[in-house]
This record gives sequence, C-alpha cells and structure tokens, in this order.
Amino acid sequence: MRPLRTLAVSVVAILALTIPSAAFGRALIIGGSTSVLPLAQKLAAAYHKATHQPTPKVTGGQSDIGISGVAEGRFDIGDSSRDPIEGVDPHGLTFVRIARDGVCVVTNKANPIANMSTSTVEEIFTGQKRDWSEVPGAKVSGPIEVFDRDGASGTQDAFQHIFLEENRKITSSATAKTSNGLEQQVVGIKKGAIGFVSFAYAAGLNPVGYNGVACNLRNARSGQYLGVRNFWMATKGNPKGATLKFLKWVTSGKKAVNNIINTQWISVY
Amino acid sequence: MAAAAVSPAPPKAVVRPPRERVSSWPLVDRLFYALCWISGLALCAIALWIVLYMLVKGVSYLKPSLLTSSPVSGSIQQTSNGGFLDPIEGTLLVTAVGTLIAAPLGVAIAVWLTEYARPSWLARAVDSAIEMLAGVPSIVLALFGLIFFSQGFLTFVSQGAASGALGQSFIAAGAVMALIALPLIVAATREGLEALPPRIREASFALGKTKATTSRYVLLPAIKPSIAAGVVLGMGRIIGDTAIITVLLGGSAQLTEPVGHTPVWGLLRGTGSTLTSYVYYNSPAGEGNAHEKAYAAAFVLLLMVLALNFLVTRLTVTGERGPAAASRLRMKLAESFAGRRWS
Amino acid sequence: MRGGVLQSLRSRRRNDGGRRSTPASGAAGDRRAELALGALGVLVLVLIGAMVVTVAIKAWPSFRYNGLGWFGPGAEVDTELRAMRESAPLKGHGLLYFTAWPLLWGTIVTTLAAVALALVVSTFAAIFLTEFAPPRMRRTLDPVIRLLAGVPSVIYGLIGILAIAPWVDQHLLSESRKKSVLYVVQLNGENLTTGTLILTVMILPIMVAITASALSSVPPAWREGSVALGVNRWRTIRRVSLRTVWPAVAAGTVLATARALGEAVMLAMVAGSTPFAANPLDGLTFLFEPVRPLAATIFQESEGLTIGPLSHTIYAMGAVLLLSAAMLSLAGWAVKQMLVRQGIRA
Repeated sequence: MRPLRTLAVSVVAILALTIPSAAFGRALIIGGSTSVLPLAQKLAAAYHKATHQPTPKVTGGQSDIGISGVAEGRFDIGDSSRDPIEGVDPHGLTFVRIARDGVCVVTNKANPIANMSTSTVEEIFTGQKRDWSEVPGAKVSGPIEVFDRDGASGTQDAFQHIFLEENRKITSSATAKTSNGLEQQVVGIKKGAIGFVSFAYAAGLNPVGYNGVACNLRNARSGQYLGVRNFWMATKGNPKGATLKFLKWVTSGKKAVNNIINTQWISVY
Repeated sequence: MAAAAVSPAPPKAVVRPPRERVSSWPLVDRLFYALCWISGLALCAIALWIVLYMLVKGVSYLKPSLLTSSPVSGSIQQTSNGGFLDPIEGTLLVTAVGTLIAAPLGVAIAVWLTEYARPSWLARAVDSAIEMLAGVPSIVLALFGLIFFSQGFLTFVSQGAASGALGQSFIAAGAVMALIALPLIVAATREGLEALPPRIREASFALGKTKATTSRYVLLPAIKPSIAAGVVLGMGRIIGDTAIITVLLGGSAQLTEPVGHTPVWGLLRGTGSTLTSYVYYNSPAGEGNAHEKAYAAAFVLLLMVLALNFLVTRLTVTGERGPAAASRLRMKLAESFAGRRWS
Repeated sequence: MRGGVLQSLRSRRRNDGGRRSTPASGAAGDRRAELALGALGVLVLVLIGAMVVTVAIKAWPSFRYNGLGWFGPGAEVDTELRAMRESAPLKGHGLLYFTAWPLLWGTIVTTLAAVALALVVSTFAAIFLTEFAPPRMRRTLDPVIRLLAGVPSVIYGLIGILAIAPWVDQHLLSESRKKSVLYVVQLNGENLTTGTLILTVMILPIMVAITASALSSVPPAWREGSVALGVNRWRTIRRVSLRTVWPAVAAGTVLATARALGEAVMLAMVAGSTPFAANPLDGLTFLFEPVRPLAATIFQESEGLTIGPLSHTIYAMGAVLLLSAAMLSLAGWAVKQMLVRQGIRA
C-alpha cells in the first residue's frame, strides 16, 4: 500500500506543479536558415530583455527546413534566407522581411585572392577550372576544392541567383556542407578550399572581392557590392498573438533593434 | 651411522620432461604464435594510445574555468570563451532520469522473467523484445521517441510547439535512454537471480512466504551487487550516447533552457545539451569550431566512463562473493534463531 | 530472555506481511504482484511493437512508390534528397524517388570489412589472452578491454576526425590520386578506410571478451589430453579449443555486427559525408573514397523530419535498419540454441 500511496502523491504533486506553469505563455519556437540563426538568437535575447516575454527558442536546419517546419506546425516562425518561390513553398505562408545580408565568396587565409571576376567565379564553381594554377592571383597550388551548401540552404539559392548565370549549376563533385558554420570551418582548415558564406561567418577567412568591389558591410550597405539578399521570417497564415508581438517588435525600426541588426547585417526599417 | 640407517632416504626427485619450447614448433605454428602476440600487444597499444592521447590533449586544454562557466550564448562559435558547465549538468540530468526509469523497470521485468514467466509464450515474447531492444540502433529509437513525444497530449513532458508538442526535453531524452539501458539491467539481474541456488527460494516458501515476498525481501537483497553492476553498465551506455541527445534534447545553443519557472520540473521539461552533444558540436563535424573545447569535454567524458568502469569492477568482484555470502549469513541467522528457540 | 526472543520472533513473523501469512490472501497478493510485474513486461513488448508499427507505417509510402528500386542504384542520393527538400522533383520522377544503393553499399562494405577484420584480430588476441600471455599482463588487459568497450563513439569520432583523418590525408593520399577522381568526388582523410579501421577498434573489445571467456571455459581435460598426446600448444588450440568455442565466437560476431550496423555518430564524423558508392573497380582509390552508411545518413538528416517525402525516406532507412536488427537477433537466438545443445555457456 505504501508504494501505491507514494506514487499517487507524487503524481498529484507533479500535476500541481505543471498546471501553473502552463498558465505562463510558452516560448516561441523559431527555426530555419543558418544564416539568419545568429541574428535570430541576438534578437530573441534582446526581445526577452525588452519585453520580459519568454525568450524564443532558435534552431537551425537551413531555409527549406524552416519553411516546411512552419507549414507543418513544428515552428512558430520559420527563418529563410532566400526569397519565397511560388509553387515550391507550401501554401498559406506569410513572409515578413526583417533584414538584408551579403554573401561572400571565401578562400583560405593562405590563399588571399583579392578579387575575382564573374567569369572566374562561374568557371571555378561549375567545375570548368580545376586547379589553382589556372586562377590568376592564387597563392596555393593543387586541385581546387569546391565547397557547396546543401540543397535546403537559402544561401546556396542566393549564391546561384547572384553569382551564377540562369542555367549553370554548381559542380556535383563539390562537397555540400549543411550550414554556414560548417562551410566556414572547412574553408578555414583546407588550404585549397573555396566556398561561400553569409557575412557573419566570414571571420577567419579571406573574403574575395567581386568584380572589383570588396565584400564587406560598408559596400553592401552602399549598394556597390551586388551579392546581397533578403532575410525573411515566415508564419503560417497571418501572424497572431505572441508571434505577431515578436514580429512587430523586430520590424519596428526601433533603435535597439536596428543596432543589433546593423552589427553584421543591413537593417531595412 | 645408526642415524643414517634410521633416517629415510631422500625422496627421489620426480623427473619431468622439459617444457616444450616454442622454438621447437614448425614454422607455421611459430608464425601463428607470433601473430597472437602481435594481436594482443596491438590491442594493448591501441588502448594505451587512445587513453594517452586523450590524456595529453585533455590536460593541455582543460582549465578549471571550463568546468564552472556556461557556454557562450548568442554566438555559434565557441572558440573565444565560455565553458561546458551546462553540458555537464545535462549529462548528469539525462543519466539520472534514464537510470531512475530503467532500474526499477529492468529489475521488475527480470524478476518476472525468472520467477514467474507465465504464460510461457508471453515470457518468450518479452524476452525476445528485450533482446531486440539491445540490437536496435539508438538513432531509430530516437526517431520513434520524437514521434511519440511530439503528440499533443504529451506537451507537459516538453513544451508546446505551434501544433502538438516540441518533443524535445530532458524527460523525453531520459525516457528513450532508459530503453537502451534496460537490456543491460535485465540481463545482469537475471544472471544474478539464476545464480542463486534454489534452496534459498525453497527455504522461504517452506516458511510460508509467497513468491512476491520472497523476491522482494530475500532474492533481490541477495543479488544487490549484480543489480548494481547492471545499473552502472546501463549508466555507462547512457552517458556515451549521442544520437538520442541530438534528436531529443534540442538545445542549439548548448545551454540548459528550462521551461517556465517551476524549480525541478521546469528544468526536466527544458532543453539543453550533454557532454556528448557538446563534443560533437565543437568537433569539425559540428558548428562550434572549437577543437580545444571538444578535447577538454571529451576528456571529462572519458574520466566519467573510467570512473563507472572502475565501479563495475569493484561491484563484480564483490558480487562473486555476494550472493553466496549473503545466503550463508541468512542461514546462520536462521540457525541461531532456531537454536535459541528450542534451547 | 527466552520469552523475549519468542515474542520478538512471533511479532517479526507478523510484521513482514502479516496479512499474507494465510495461504488464501497470500495467493491473491502473489497474483497481484505477478500481474503487476507481467504488465511491465507487456509494456516493453507493446513499446517495441508500437515502434516497429510506427516506423513501418511511416516508411511505407517511400517503399510503395519506389518498389524494389529503393534498394537499387539510380541518381545520386544527395541529388534525390535535395529534390525532396526543395520540393522540386527530378525529371521523370516524383518527390518520393529514392535509390539507396550507395548507402546500402557503404553500410555493407564498412560492416563486413570491420567484422571480418575484428574477427581475425580478436581471435588471435583472445588466444593470446587465455593461453600465451603472462599472468600479470592478463590481469592488466582485462580492465583495459572493458575500458575500450565503454568509450563513447563520439570520442572515437573526435580522435578519428582530428588525429587519424588528417594523418591519412597527408601520408596516404597523394595529390595525383585526388586529381584522378576530382571530376566525380573529392578525396580527403575521411573515407572508407578510416571509418572501417575505427569501427574495427570499436567492436574488437566485445569479440575479444566473448571469445576469451569461451576459450577459458573449454574443459581443461580436453586441452591437457591433447598436449599429453604430444600436440604442441598452438595446434591444440586450433584443433581442440577453437573448434569447441566456435558457437560462442559466432554469437560474439552477431553482437558485433549489430553494433557496427547501428553505429551512426562515429561514421557520420569520420567516413566522409558524401553518400558515394565507393567503386571497387577504382583499384586502390576505392579504399579512400568517402561513404555514408545508413545509420550515419539518418543521423545527419534527422533535422529534415518536417518535410513529408524526406520523413518517409528517413523512416524507410530506419525500417531497413530495424529489419536487419531483427534478423541479427534471430541469428543470435539460433546460435544460442546451438550453444545450449553443445552445452557450453557463452
């Protein structure tokens, strides 16, 4: 009898503890693009500080996972670093633009190429040029190791649209990495590597200028650097309740918000 | 001279043929002998190399501040500063939850399988289920756990997502961890129970006790070392698992994030990370980009495993004497009571 | 004094389950306990059953669409997964199109190679442990083997990716070899060989422990009889001991194969993250091509469970793993029957 009684008491106690906690609002769940991830994390922390709402939980997974996740109901907000595509994205989603970001072509620091033209970038990434000896300004020798992003990546989408012509695709022998962080890591380790990352991840690597314009925040803001794309936050239907509150805060153009965004991205409000 | 005649002749030394030398074997056999030695030494060398390598790397990268500070939040890159206090908390939490669920369950199932086991087809089915559980890859168990805990009515175990539950929490991860520790506990308990001589059970039944009472008050206390060894083995398996943590513990920032403000339950419902996921995250396969932290955390993990191994060795050594000694003690007590009663 | 002892004895007998001291209520209490314990056993049975059924249901769409072609070769696995993620089906196929051959081939090659290697090395090492090792070495090797068995796979993966893979990259892979296959795949230290070697080290301790304990339980009379007839120790081992313990060795192999099949994390870190079907016709380069076994693929794709077709594919892979685990369980049971018949405890 005693163990049964202990069990009953503990179950009641647990229920008593959980019910009040359900009365508090639950935290928002945000997931998707790994490019948006650092920005979303910073915004979530600042949102909690400013409004005392529970800190939203931020995860990655790449843009397509974010979009499908919000359609399935796993996420409250899906981050995407590519523009919404008609017919590909699930129906009924609302996209809200929150910032702009740049994509840099990067090489290892042992290979500090200052600039590449459109044709060079295309030739390297589509596999036409395979050795660093064919590239002017290269400081390493040996085969070019191209690193791509996974198919679910918004950054890869942005790269294809901005840097490659309509029908050209990245060579299939490139190794696909599943996040900006992994891409940054591998290009930082291998001397003969070349890849592309979002601005915030170019630390420790050599950002390659594009058509004579250096890839940095200033040039992106001024519009000179062309490799810039939008960051979106998607919701299922129109945003409501806690989600609406958060999105309103992010797109409010308040100084606190823009200060965060302008550290490594470009604010739009 | 009389002494010489009386004293017994010294015993003749037994002449044994000299031990066979390996050098006398044919070449093929000598080759295999060498191979055996090489394999044994290679095994030794590999183990030694792994331990020494982790020792060197761990000691060079481990600082006390790492053990007491949390990972840096708000940035994915961990190289700069921040330690792994949260992952250590996470490991302890998940192991505790998993063991607390698996130990009673495993012991109960083992008792049922050895003492009752009726109907026999059911007992065979449960036996095969436990065996299959031992062979299922933990990633498949994790996937199933995710589906199970994402159902809406189980929101109290983790937290709510836009539809249904998030499904990722310490309780969820601990529950699935209990599944992978279960076969070890069941096996160890069954071994202990089967090694007990039947006369213990018969003596207890002769005194009028039921099977349930016997199991609870006589058998289980007698095999405590076996149960303990099984539990510790299960804990070792739980501590080392990464796949379940990655799927069921959430925590992309490697921080422990409780849900709500209730003291213990909020923590259990929350997400976090463990040493294993922290090591994976900071290795070149993950995004943390902090090899030194990965080495330091892996070293701490290895120390935990070593401690558990040492515990198992101690328990099994005592265990060999345990059941026999305990039953002897009980018999002595019974004899002394019987003696006093009729003296 | 005597009265006191009698008193305490009587009260003691009443205290531990006084209610159950009469046969009738004792039997009822026993029945309750049996039902309660049996219910727990049935709970585990139901859980396993639910798992199998859930995985099968979620995997069925993928198998139904692809039929037997699921197991065959076709387009590249990465391309197919990408199509599912982008909701952009490949030409001439639906979204569920999947051909898992590179993954299956990777799983088969790594598992078989690791088990074969481990079988050979563990047999020799176990013989060493039981027969030829000096007693002091034997005493130190026992905890060492147990330690090796307990090292978490993520630590093996860490050492592999940070120490062994770069070594392989620098010393075993030449630039010319890398160039020769560059148009198809990039070679680096994370490849088939590195993954298989570390997998072998991971499953060695299990097999050594089982083989050694089986060898030491061979009746000494048999060995002594053989030696007395003049057979040297090695031949005794080969002809007498090994022949006696082969069911135990088989059981150990089954256990090791199950472990190798289910190894996800270490292989995800070390064997290369490209699901490429290593081509034996490439000669020596075959050893250095990246592979991605099934469990490692599930581990790496586990974030994509929200996308419909991708989740069906992942569960299909899980179903294949479950099936192989069940078959291995069956094989283990069959071997154990053989053991019981031979009268040797594993």
